[in-house]
Amino acid sequence: MTQPYSTARLIASRQPGFSLPRELYCGEQALQDDLQQIWYREWVFAIPSCEIARTGSFSTLQLGEYPVIIVRGADGRVRAFHNVCRHRGQRLCPKTSGSSPKLVCPYHQWTYDLDGKLLYARDMGEGFDPSRYGLKPVHCADIGGMIFVCVAPVPPSLADLAQNLMRYVGPSALAESKVAHSSTIIEKGNWKLVLENNRECYHCGGSHPSLCRTYSDDPLMTVMEGPNAASPEILAHWDRCDKANLPSRFVHGDNMQWRLARVPLMDDAESFTMSGKAAVSRRMGTIPWNDAGALMFYHFPSSWNHFLPDHAIVFRILPISPTETEVTTKWLVHKDAVEGEDYDLQKLTEVWLATNDEDRRVVEENQAGILSPAYEPGPYSPSQEAGVIHLVDWYCATMTERLGLQTAAE
Amino acid sequence: MTRTRTNWAVEPWDDSEMLECTQIVPETADTWTFTFRSPSGAWFDYQPGQFITLDLPVDPSKGQAGNVQRTYTLSSSPSRPLSISVTAKAQATSIATRWMMDNLKPGMKIRAYGPSGIFSSHRHPARKYLFISAGSGITPMMSMTTWAWDSGEDHDIVFVHAARRPSDIIFRQRLEQFAHRSPGLQLRFTVEEPEPFKTWHGYQGRLSQIMLGLMASDYLEREVFCCGPEPFMQAVRDMLIALGYDMDHYHQESFGAPVESEAESPEMDDVIPDEESRAQISFTTSGVTTGCAETDTVLAVAKRAGLNIPSGCTFGLCGTCKIKKVSGEVHMVHNGGISDEDIEDGWILACCSNPMGKIAVEV
Repeated sequence: MTQPYSTARLIASRQPGFSLPRELYCGEQALQDDLQQIWYREWVFAIPSCEIARTGSFSTLQLGEYPVIIVRGADGRVRAFHNVCRHRGQRLCPKTSGSSPKLVCPYHQWTYDLDGKLLYARDMGEGFDPSRYGLKPVHCADIGGMIFVCVAPVPPSLADLAQNLMRYVGPSALAESKVAHSSTIIEKGNWKLVLENNRECYHCGGSHPSLCRTYSDDPLMTVMEGPNAASPEILAHWDRCDKANLPSRFVHGDNMQWRLARVPLMDDAESFTMSGKAAVSRRMGTIPWNDAGALMFYHFPSSWNHFLPDHAIVFRILPISPTETEVTTKWLVHKDAVEGEDYDLQKLTEVWLATNDEDRRVVEENQAGILSPAYEPGPYSPSQEAGVIHLVDWYCATMTERLGLQTAAE
Repeated sequence: MTRTRTNWAVEPWDDSEMLECTQIVPETADTWTFTFRSPSGAWFDYQPGQFITLDLPVDPSKGQAGNVQRTYTLSSSPSRPLSISVTAKAQATSIATRWMMDNLKPGMKIRAYGPSGIFSSHRHPARKYLFISAGSGITPMMSMTTWAWDSGEDHDIVFVHAARRPSDIIFRQRLEQFAHRSPGLQLRFTVEEPEPFKTWHGYQGRLSQIMLGLMASDYLEREVFCCGPEPFMQAVRDMLIALGYDMDHYHQESFGAPVESEAESPEMDDVIPDEESRAQISFTTSGVTTGCAETDTVLAVAKRAGLNIPSGCTFGLCGTCKIKKVSGEVHMVHNGGISDEDIEDGWILACCSNPMGKIAVEV
């Protein structure tokens, strides 16, 4: 069987420092390869753990072809399972979130305990052994209040990320927070375009009037060289944070798959609000100042996040089709913060609701242009778009290695 | 020729003699065993499962007036008559037990009364026993189990115990040693949560009908002895009643207030749905009202009235038949298919709820 093109060959043909060939942004084959080689093999950020705080609370997501359910057990542990009944394959739980003492298939009421054990199946005959039909587990890790899942049989090591992420988000006490607001939008763009757009602020000045009130589009604010090399403003901020034992300096994983750094907002702004003032009067965790800036954390392929002293914003992307991506944003505040008293929901969410919508339009127009046969890859700005180069290089290196191995095995 | 006795030449201990504390052993993080002997060398004669009343000088500065009397079920067995022991857990509010932990030392003598009580397997001989305990309610069970073991006879005991965590299971090792050498003793532990970083292969979660069925499938044939906090014992009684267990064979002791005599036994105000008692269910959405017996389930009555509530397991596990109760009281014995929050919000499972009098549900 011949394929219209080979993802491996397209990647091999790309010019470093340039955007990717057209088919990688819109082809069905490219999406299938992305899913097989990246989305089904990497850890994917799923939800903040506070979203399923109590026994029986659950949340579901669709990771490519895999429906997954994440649930908190009676022992307080968070587990993830394939959201598929072991009877005849019904999707076990159709809701995106909720709470239930048992996981019950709505089709024939096969009943599973929160740890995945099959507790009850009616009239299955004498020799039926329920222990053989427990829910299939999905790897699941709660790292400092951020829950990641991986559907691979053997997941990649998380140790490096876990060690750093727990240290950096520890002061935000995510487990002691709650979801104040959640938004899910579909952007009509390839998942890589959604991430590329996130990895640079070259476009911010032209697109994000409200975000740019507090977030600087100076490329030196976005791109850091290392824990001891950054703009003077950031270095001063890190020195100040060091003295307060607040982890802040730039750290990153292999191939830049993840990055953590705390950067100051413009003009001592406190939060991503129209006024620059904190949106929530009851602060999260133990961050000592209102103007501690934003701890920025991204993780390829699925997530970028901002942890501020007064609230946190977590983002998750999931590919829906070659040219559609689901983007979910959650605003977290201290669990005891009261809406209308400690915060005003509109003030809390308006900047990023607007920014998300602006980004959606940017990405959709980007996709619309790339769909033209006239598109050809163009050069990234080395100073402004270093973050995009990190992403595209990580993507190409990962895919080349894995597709190369696959080709070699064929 | 009269044969001389090697042991027990003397009379058994009576409570006119003070007891001497001889040994204090920690059992778990918050539970200690206190062992006593009689200074005269008298032996102890009692029934396994009974309790003793200790007279403790909690505030010695006030002399006798500072004493408090506290009853403790004996964790020792009369088959080992040289000493007696009590095993006590220090609750946050405890005064007497806390005093013993802080002040009682080997060599000290205290006044004691008893032993007495009616909670004993000796008073209800049976071929098969089911011991069900929670927390420090394990102590009389330990006494009765030790007796069964020491008697050297075949015994058949299913020993169910509920604890917070595996490390809170009092006497776990001693019971396991018995069980390793005796097929007639089956241990069934359930815990609220396992220890971090330690595997746990026992049961987990609140004791339920289903769990009980797995622990002792022939529970209907067993003489049941139950000891623990009142809500725990209430749940056990509800379970057994709903399962059709003959409650004449159920015996209970509360480690809070041990019972001295039959006359003192508290009246159990269990809800026992009665076939003769009439009840009535209004299905508000359908506009149907129908009479029924208290023993009928809401699900069965709905079906008889031509209404259908989607259901699955029919014993309170899967939760499919969850409906909203508008008014009235039901007696519900479920198997974990509904959360406490939902119950508080007025939800019931139709399959395992009996109407007590007039009720209305949204069906």
